[in-house]
Amino acid sequence: MTGSGFGKLSTSKLLIAAAIVAIVSGAAVGLGVGYVIHYDAPTTRTFYLFDRSLPFNETVFKIPHDTWVPDTITVNKGDHVVIHFLDTESTPEGHTYNMDPPYTFDAVVYNNVTQGGSVAGTFSNVNRVIFGQSQTATITFTASWAGTFRYYCEIHQPTMTGYLVVIG
Amino acid sequence: MKSLRWIAVGLLLLTGIIDFYYGNSNAGFYENLWYVTGGIYVFAALVIAANIEPKFSQLAVFAYTLFLWTVWATVALQTGTGLDAVAYADKASEAILAANMVLLFRSTRASVKLC
Repeated sequence: MTGSGFGKLSTSKLLIAAAIVAIVSGAAVGLGVGYVIHYDAPTTRTFYLFDRSLPFNETVFKIPHDTWVPDTITVNKGDHVVIHFLDTESTPEGHTYNMDPPYTFDAVVYNNVTQGGSVAGTFSNVNRVIFGQSQTATITFTASWAGTFRYYCEIHQPTMTGYLVVIG
Repeated sequence: MKSLRWIAVGLLLLTGIIDFYYGNSNAGFYENLWYVTGGIYVFAALVIAANIEPKFSQLAVFAYTLFLWTVWATVALQTGTGLDAVAYADKASEAILAANMVLLFRSTRASVKLC
């Protein structure tokens, strides 16, 4: 190798040449990657979640008429997710918000529909929270695991089930 | 020169392990890239330890380290990602590694000329 052009160059020149090539190509790749991932960078995503009663007779169909709207929430892995749950039902019944493991969440439950009223309870790192009639809540968590995970009301199964889709 | 080489091997392994840890623990995205960069560091540690084509491999490791450092800095400046304690530790290790590779490469070339 010492007989080649590579070997004839001084040590300093070789190091400088290698450094220039590495830095220039690194900056080019970095700019490209930065441009691509700029749109996927973790961010805060806010959703409004409602309970909905479908117009059919539960006794006849033998399933609850309650569902979540929306029943699918899609985020990128790493996103901070904020869900405002609003109880819009006219019938007086409670619900729960549960999430499949490994997800847990923080929640603040409010006593009225505007989320500006008194706080009924604050919960940290839980996988289940209960809402009374006309209570609303703010649920927050970080989408740390990619995949599809249920969020559901354990009182109204199987219909009141939604899916959190985390794109990894 | 031997001590420089073994310090380089240690730093390469350390950086590789940090990369693996970051890929495994980081709740962000594109974490698979960290597995790849960590794997290359561990492979480079083996090459440097075995002293295979030292004049080429040492220069290549030096360039690879600077390349990754620049990629990280450019992406971090643009998007604000990768700015955390683990990434800082990784990049500090890489900076020391780059300086170590300069000394090792100089030493290797000098010893070859003496021979």
